[in-house]
Amino acid sequence: MAKTYDYLFKLLLIGDSGVGKTCILFRFSEDAFNTTFISTIGIDFKIRTIELDGKKIKLQIWDTAGQERFRTITTAYYRGAMGIMLVYDITQEKSFENIKNWIRNIEENASADVEKMLLGNKCELNDKRQVSRERGEQLAVEYGIKFMETSAKASINVEEAFLTLASDIKAKMEKRLEANNPPKGGHQLKAIEPTRKSDSWLSRCSLL
Amino acid sequence: MSSSGQTGFLFFFLDSVEYKERLIASVKKEVKQLMEEAVTRKFVHEESGSVTSLCAAVEACLSQGLRRRALGLFKTSSTTALLHKVAKHCPEAAYISRKVQDIENTDPNKRSSSSSDSTNKPPILKKNSSNSVTTVSGPPAQPTVKYLWIRLALYEKRLAKIIEHLVTNATRYYERDSLVADPDYGSILSSLLVGPCALDYSRAKTPDHYWTDPHADELVQRHRISSGNPTPPTCRRPILNFKRSLHTSSEEASTGSFKSSTSVTAKDYVESLHQNSRVTLLYGKNNILVLPKDVSEQMPGYLSIHQTAQSLTVKWTPNQLMNGYTECEVTDKSSYWAYALNINVDEIVYVHCHQIRGEDTGGTIIFVGQDGVQHPPILFPEGGHMAAFLSCLETGLLPHGQLDPPLWSTRGIGKIFPWPAKGRRRLLSSVLETNEDHPIDYVFRVVNKGNHADFLATHQIMETGRTSPRRTQLSSCSTNESSDCSSKSMSLDQSLPDTPQVGANQTASIALVCSTMRRQIISRAFYGWLAYCRHLSTVRTHLIGLVNGRITPEAGAEGGLTKERWESLNADGVVSDDKEVYRLVYYGGVEHEIRKEVWPYLLGHYSFGSTPEERHELDEAARHYYETTMGEWLAVEAIVRQRDKEKTAHAVAKLSSESGSGGDKTKGVDVDAEMENDVFEDNDFSDISDPVDYDVEKKEEVPAEEMKKPTRANKSSTDSGNVPDEDIKNNEDGQDDNDAEMNPEEIPKEKDNDAEMRNVSNQNAINGIELELKENCFGENDGVAAATTTGGKENVSNKSSPTTSSYETVGNEFIDTNDMNNGERLNNMKLPEFQSVDDIQMELTEYEDDAGATSAQGMDHDEQHLQQFTASSPRASVIVTKASIDVANFDKEEEEDEKTAVMSPVKEEANGNALDALQEPKSACVSPASSNGGVYSCQLLENFGLNLHRIEKDVQRCDRNYWYFANENLDKLRNVICTYIWEHLDIGYMQGMCDLVAPLLVIFDDESLSYSCFCHLMERMIQNFPSGSAMDMHFSNMRSLIQILDSELYDLMHAHGDYTHFYFCYRWFLLDFKRELVYADVFSTWEVIWAAKYTASSHFVLFLALALLETYRDIILSNSMDFTDVIKFFNEMAERHNTASVLKLARSLVLQLQTIIENK
Repeated sequence: MAKTYDYLFKLLLIGDSGVGKTCILFRFSEDAFNTTFISTIGIDFKIRTIELDGKKIKLQIWDTAGQERFRTITTAYYRGAMGIMLVYDITQEKSFENIKNWIRNIEENASADVEKMLLGNKCELNDKRQVSRERGEQLAVEYGIKFMETSAKASINVEEAFLTLASDIKAKMEKRLEANNPPKGGHQLKAIEPTRKSDSWLSRCSLL
Repeated sequence: MSSSGQTGFLFFFLDSVEYKERLIASVKKEVKQLMEEAVTRKFVHEESGSVTSLCAAVEACLSQGLRRRALGLFKTSSTTALLHKVAKHCPEAAYISRKVQDIENTDPNKRSSSSSDSTNKPPILKKNSSNSVTTVSGPPAQPTVKYLWIRLALYEKRLAKIIEHLVTNATRYYERDSLVADPDYGSILSSLLVGPCALDYSRAKTPDHYWTDPHADELVQRHRISSGNPTPPTCRRPILNFKRSLHTSSEEASTGSFKSSTSVTAKDYVESLHQNSRVTLLYGKNNILVLPKDVSEQMPGYLSIHQTAQSLTVKWTPNQLMNGYTECEVTDKSSYWAYALNINVDEIVYVHCHQIRGEDTGGTIIFVGQDGVQHPPILFPEGGHMAAFLSCLETGLLPHGQLDPPLWSTRGIGKIFPWPAKGRRRLLSSVLETNEDHPIDYVFRVVNKGNHADFLATHQIMETGRTSPRRTQLSSCSTNESSDCSSKSMSLDQSLPDTPQVGANQTASIALVCSTMRRQIISRAFYGWLAYCRHLSTVRTHLIGLVNGRITPEAGAEGGLTKERWESLNADGVVSDDKEVYRLVYYGGVEHEIRKEVWPYLLGHYSFGSTPEERHELDEAARHYYETTMGEWLAVEAIVRQRDKEKTAHAVAKLSSESGSGGDKTKGVDVDAEMENDVFEDNDFSDISDPVDYDVEKKEEVPAEEMKKPTRANKSSTDSGNVPDEDIKNNEDGQDDNDAEMNPEEIPKEKDNDAEMRNVSNQNAINGIELELKENCFGENDGVAAATTTGGKENVSNKSSPTTSSYETVGNEFIDTNDMNNGERLNNMKLPEFQSVDDIQMELTEYEDDAGATSAQGMDHDEQHLQQFTASSPRASVIVTKASIDVANFDKEEEEDEKTAVMSPVKEEANGNALDALQEPKSACVSPASSNGGVYSCQLLENFGLNLHRIEKDVQRCDRNYWYFANENLDKLRNVICTYIWEHLDIGYMQGMCDLVAPLLVIFDDESLSYSCFCHLMERMIQNFPSGSAMDMHFSNMRSLIQILDSELYDLMHAHGDYTHFYFCYRWFLLDFKRELVYADVFSTWEVIWAAKYTASSHFVLFLALALLETYRDIILSNSMDFTDVIKFFNEMAERHNTASVLKLARSLVLQLQTIIENK
């Protein structure tokens, strides 16, 4: 079977348990919502192929266990990830406060130039809101990443979030490809593995 | 129209009305269909069938009664042209028209299909002949681009607008009686389409998605179709799989078969000519001429002798075939297959050799078969090649067959054979010069001393190593063959000078050669066997721990533990035959009705041989323990809840204020929140020494900082609520150093009791916090007033939780000490309170007296009092406690010493209350906090609160689909887990524990029993969680097992590298396959796992995992899945496995491993 995509992007969903990572993924991959999901144990992933600027992009999205104790196995997936969705629950302040811990996890385990994005999920529950939109935005600005409030249940912004992340990765990758070999465009089947950078590079990134 | 008759017109009219009705109905139907599709999924796929049919219906409506002639739309019956016309007047149409043109310009194919139903091709296409050919027949094959403009308009949500435009301007485009022009139908049509135009259309998931990333189900289905063998083939595979040979055997590659086969197999054939693991190449020479039948000219080709375990084969392949398979002239070469020779030497009776007399003239060999048929002559070039060939042939025959007469002795007899011209041989040639120039013919008979198979059978050593050693033996022959040949010729040459002894020497040398060969064969076989043994010993050393050495027989256990069997085993209420129970469960599971009875045995809760009374006692004890523990954590939970409520309220309030005042304040509030956290962790004393003053100041000074007040008040409430004893102690330490001297013996005791204190205090805190909340409501009162209010409120709380008030009072006392003026007032207010509780007035006075007396004395008296009060009703002691504090207050004004002395009985008293209230034995209180007083308790609060939240999150979403957990049973689940976590706070809750409790609870439907069994279960399972080390061990064991039991799969995994993680089994091991199977299967799997520990293997999960893997191994192999694919596959296959067969396979795998280990 011939490959039916131009790029393969590996994305990762992280965040506290119960913020709705699995539901976001399910909404994106199956376009449905299921209230009876159970906690994710270990890891799982779903695939969806999208099209961006005429390029078919296969998104392989890894869903991780939220509880920090399972970090040993989830961090194994940080390295291969090209994009990471940080998810918190707008009705759980703690999950928002923990975002900085997750960012630290990323800095420790993922490649330095991984694309990140912050999602405040469950935004349909506005009456139970504990984290304002502004705080989310502010944190995102602090880390120099994009931010969206989503709702897997009401299907708000889920699609947009993934498309945004994917196009950011694509743009970054094509830029790098052009820098490497200008004549060749982006006809590589597999995205090149992001190179590991040193820690100093890392800290500079987080200052952005 | 006017010419038609009245009736005809009517008919036509009716007809057209009916037609319009039909058209509208079809649009309605399609719209409905589409909307329904959109309900189930939020957006509709662009290529969905209902989109196409809706477009078709709309097209039909629009085409009806279109004034083609007037509009100049002759060329096409499609409405696309209409769109372009309308575009001039309608902006929406113009937009769509532009889009349509864009698409058509970029892709001519689409253009044609846009007007799919046109019989006249658009002019543009006529110019492009190559496209026009495909387009005429094309459209049906491309349904996706049918009705392009309608489609596009729909996607762009402008279709309704365009139709509306058409309807309002119908007179311009349509006949009077057309549907669009009809006042009713026209508006119906446009309004019908409003709905579909509101939908989202997506092409996110293309149909080929399902092909390229098939779902696990799909893979299994495909595999069933392709294999035609629904059952997994793993059972019949031998335990030690050596790599399967990739090469086709030479026997199969016979000449005849190749006539019909394709050139793909030719490659295999040519590869078979080379030496490989199965076939030994004894001789190979190219450019040997053969004169095949029906061919006039001799052809050069490659002659070779191959030896396999079964046979010796002589092959000759024309050169055209040898180097031709990479070239493209396949058709020409196929005829050469007819000429290739493939001769099985077993079928050859005679070998005819013809040689022209003279030096190095070469020779001809003809093989004659058993049926007398002559094979085509093989012509050897000069240079002794024929002799070399014959000697190799004989070597090949050697161990069990030979040429008769033997090749070597022929010359001894004096027969002429042209050996390569070497110095000494010329002697021989000269001797034989007499017959010069005459052709010399010689005939050998091929003698078989028996079949190879027989030969092998007679040599036991060959058989030991099964297939692999045999092959090793063969290759040992092959590797030595050439050297053997040369050594033979050497020895031959040496023997030549002394002619008389030649015969004897040659026989001796042959014997020598044979013995050397035999030795080598044996040694090779031995090494093969040795390697095999080493392999087995590796297996043993690595895996011996995985299975029990003793094999438990299955006989009669297939039915499992049925009710009848259980009753017979359990005849007198005592089950003593544990072996039999385990055996039955292992091989057949437990009947569902008796699971509730059997599982406690399997899990080790009940011990075998216990009497019903003992079990009952055990259950009672367990229940008591469970309830006690639950009481402990429920108290803590209440505080946590309260704190949560506040926090939530706080956060919401913060949010609202934030939204009012904008971003600037956000930061400040954040800081505040952090402070709040810090407060809970540190809980420093300095705050307590003058907390209210501080608060009061704040309140008075900064009314604008209203936001902070709850935090402050909160804090003090927690302080007074949670760590009252600490407060007291602090007070003691701060105000009276004597206290330390006074209570050296008391302190350890206090510490012991602190835990109990905490429990009480927890309850108190609830009230305290409630009070504080109320207090907050009061607003801007000064500190004393607030405190007074608190005092007043205590009356209310007194009733529910008497001890509360005492601590609250203590809290207030501090205010008093700091604010002496108000102290009197407060006490005055308080005094009537406790006096109002009239029934224990006596005791109160008594205690007051005693307190006075005790102040100067030691502990003993206090102890006495304690006992005394504990003996009295709880209510009484409560009041006494309260009184004592108040007494202390009174005393305090006079003498501090006395106060502290009184304080200690208070503490003791509180303990007594705790005991009474909870009805718990002292020993039950073994909570980890007991060693470290109040500061620790805050940590504990934090810790337990955190765990509680985690538990809640998971419990709420645990198996709600399963009937048992559809209702309040989830609370039971929560209770069991919370109790476990309360007892194991050092471990803490980890995701997955819920899943482990759930099946137990379903079976037992009893919290305390589930809890006890869960504890037993966790003894093993906890090791799998991130805190333990069992998971890595499992992974490495899995690796070894796969390596040994399925090397092919192992190779695949190895090739993909990443496999070392084995993370696809993570969930399997963590939850004992609970997530992989449906509930009924979880039950049967779990009990087998538990029973297996005693019958077959304490690592049965490994074999289950292996069995799962093996069940789908062919799918994994045939799709050459990598690590990620396997994860996806198994995640999708969850709850779809055939558990019975997986269990069976797992048991057989255990047995296989047991057999291996046992045999050696």
